[in-house]
Amino acid sequence: MKYSLRETCDKTFTVMTALSVILLVVILVAVLGPMISKGITAVFFKSTVEFRRMQNDLHDRGSIEKIDEQIAKANIHRDYIYSKIDSFKMGIDTSFFKQKVKQIYRQFGNDLKSNNIKGTELSDRRKVARQIRSDLEKAFASLDKAGIIELIDGIDQHKTDHRITGTVAMGFYDLADQYKAIIKDFDLSKRQQYAESLGQVEDLLIKLYGPRPEDPMPALIMDRYGATRYDLACQLLDKILWKEHWVQQSPDQPMVSTKLPRVADFEGTEIEDIFFYIEDNFQQSIIPKATIYWQYFIDDSTSGHYFGGVGPEILGTLILTVLAMAFVFPLGVVAAAYLVECTTDNIVMKIIRLSINTLAGVPSIIFGLFGLAFFVLFLLPFFGGPSKPCILAASMTLAVLALPVMIRASEEAIRSVPQSYKEASLGLGAGRFRTFVQVTLPAAMPGILTGVILSLSRVAGETAPILFTGACAFGSIPKSLFAQTRTLSYGSYDIAVGDKIGMLVPHKQYGMVVTLVLLIICLNALAIFFRAKIFRRLKGH
Amino acid sequence: MDDTALYNEIKSTTGRNDRSLVLTPFEDLKGFLACHLGRALLFLITCSSVLAVFLIFYFVIRESIPFITHNDISQFLTSQHWYPEAEPAKFGALSIIVGSFYVTIVSLLFAVPVGIMAAVFLSDVVSFKIREFIKPVIEILAAIPSVAYGFFAVLVLSPWLQDKFGFATGTNALNASIVLSIMALPTIISVAEDSISSVGRELREGSYALGATRFETIFKVIIPSAHSGIIAAVILGMMRAIGETMVVWMASGNASQIPTPWWDLSQSVRTMTASIAGEMGETVKGSEHYYSLFTIGVLLLILTFTLNIVSEYFLISAKKKLGKA
Repeated sequence: MKYSLRETCDKTFTVMTALSVILLVVILVAVLGPMISKGITAVFFKSTVEFRRMQNDLHDRGSIEKIDEQIAKANIHRDYIYSKIDSFKMGIDTSFFKQKVKQIYRQFGNDLKSNNIKGTELSDRRKVARQIRSDLEKAFASLDKAGIIELIDGIDQHKTDHRITGTVAMGFYDLADQYKAIIKDFDLSKRQQYAESLGQVEDLLIKLYGPRPEDPMPALIMDRYGATRYDLACQLLDKILWKEHWVQQSPDQPMVSTKLPRVADFEGTEIEDIFFYIEDNFQQSIIPKATIYWQYFIDDSTSGHYFGGVGPEILGTLILTVLAMAFVFPLGVVAAAYLVECTTDNIVMKIIRLSINTLAGVPSIIFGLFGLAFFVLFLLPFFGGPSKPCILAASMTLAVLALPVMIRASEEAIRSVPQSYKEASLGLGAGRFRTFVQVTLPAAMPGILTGVILSLSRVAGETAPILFTGACAFGSIPKSLFAQTRTLSYGSYDIAVGDKIGMLVPHKQYGMVVTLVLLIICLNALAIFFRAKIFRRLKGH
Repeated sequence: MDDTALYNEIKSTTGRNDRSLVLTPFEDLKGFLACHLGRALLFLITCSSVLAVFLIFYFVIRESIPFITHNDISQFLTSQHWYPEAEPAKFGALSIIVGSFYVTIVSLLFAVPVGIMAAVFLSDVVSFKIREFIKPVIEILAAIPSVAYGFFAVLVLSPWLQDKFGFATGTNALNASIVLSIMALPTIISVAEDSISSVGRELREGSYALGATRFETIFKVIIPSAHSGIIAAVILGMMRAIGETMVVWMASGNASQIPTPWWDLSQSVRTMTASIAGEMGETVKGSEHYYSLFTIGVLLLILTFTLNIVSEYFLISAKKKLGKA
């Protein structure tokens, strides 16, 4: 082979190996980058006045006077928008007018009866009122603007009619005038289109500003408040101002989304300017403020994690991991000690080593099956407990899973204690047991702790083993060891795929998983730090 | 200091007043019992891992026996129709088993070359200092919990794939394979690096002295002599991928089918682990479906156990070879 070719091969190979490592770094950034950047917004974000209102209602946080003051300020703008929309709505949906007319007519009839008016006068008065009523109804139902104005003008001629003046029927004229004013710059043929578009705007406004103060309180907590976050509010504003429109550009291509200004729907009407008003007074109507929502880590969440934090999940994860460690720590250390101190290389030891390796290689879902079959269905009923998934079963399952990790780490730690320590202790007359407990174990402790931390991080992240043995997606904070618990790992799964509400609040999804990942990375960083320290110390000797 | 003073001092510090060198028979027996009973107790505790393995096998197999005795096991292994809740129920796990191997093999196609190259880079190309920076990257990749990878697959990778390649669904075999290969990489790298860097210096230097380039040294000398360890690395990576649950459950689409044509990675598949995880929550305890899921578990257990023993064999033979050299 030519030398230059060999040279090229060598260089290419070196570059490829370097690239593969760079790829690893890229993968790490690609996996963690979006998670952390989005997850962090669960805690650090710009909150709106709705958020402060919610926090005050649910957790009694912040001063109520200040919040009321802010709400009053925001309501100035909101009320203006609402009043404009309400008056415009009357032109679209005349059922309000129709109802009012009926009401007035009935009231008029009752008044006549209670005034003891009888005979021809009664029928005469009724006839006039009925005439006006039917004209008005015709006007409300009509789509012909000129015709409507003619009808209303015709009604107005009755204004001085003595049979009407001074009675409730005067309300007819007010209604007629109001309606005339509304439809003045109103394209009646577009009524349907207006109604549709305005309905969308109103829905979006409810999402942005929350239900109107005079409306009844919705049953779901998530419906009671508007956009609690500035980024969410901006998205809603964008949806209010711009309408999504799907266009088929060519027959085979998928549809393409374009944006059309929504204000075009209302061109020439009286609410045309509220879109500019909403945009110009956006900040004043929601009052954004930078917030650190540290209570995210202790708060319970409302249904579907729409509001609130991951407090119960963190608590559940801690309970499970600590319990599992309590089971596995003594077992692991003793087993490791035995493997290092008391063994001869015989068949029994080979079997023990093989089973530790087997245990380390068993898929995590098998631990789940085992936990279900053994702890939940066999062991708990055997001791008279309830045969259902619970924290105890889950933590014992996790303990079995962590056993090989713990044994291997402790074994390595105990093995790395210099032989001279033991020899010195034995030379001073201490027995083997005493040497181990008072000399070897303390010296190996940092290494064993590293093992504990690594097993903790392994246990905290596992989901499959606790699927059938004690994890649940909803539920209150567990009261006993025989209850199920929420955990960060199962919660991350559930919020990512299980729940449709989760998709509405991406910061909550990412917040949950990032809490888990950061917890585990911190534990691992701690272990790496410990290990480096031990390494330095052992090197020093 | 005379003898009496010394005696009193010893008495006051140790709390014992006499210490004869000859043990009484009772003391002797006590010491013997303490030593041997203690040892036996320690041995029993050490055997807890053996007990755990035994219990896992026993209970998983026990729960699968009703299914194995009532159903035709050859049909279970060869039929593609998995309709456990239908009337009559059909338990054909072929497509599920194939799905497991499918995503595992595809993920290894990516993970093995990258993993071995990264291992070579760490052991033969860069200095110790840079290695210290890269090691934590691999450790963090290994530490990220599988549910977080699944989360990444569903919410980040899946929309991206759908967007870039126009797949009908973003949760498909390709997605699951990509994420599985990321998860298998740390295992492959660390085991392969161990075995590559434990190949003796004299082999490398001998090769360089003969005028070989690094490329030639690695491919003709180092990898052949470290092959047992590398095979073990690949098998361990395979075990990681085949036993992984959350990622495949979330990312593979869970359609029980064999992709047709076989190279079409954009189709959804379903794996053994995902079937167990997804269906166990909805079955009635003691139903045929429940037992069938345990049967899948037994298959999985036997599979990983075999792979484990094979990898063990290769690791031991790698150690032996190095011991001889």
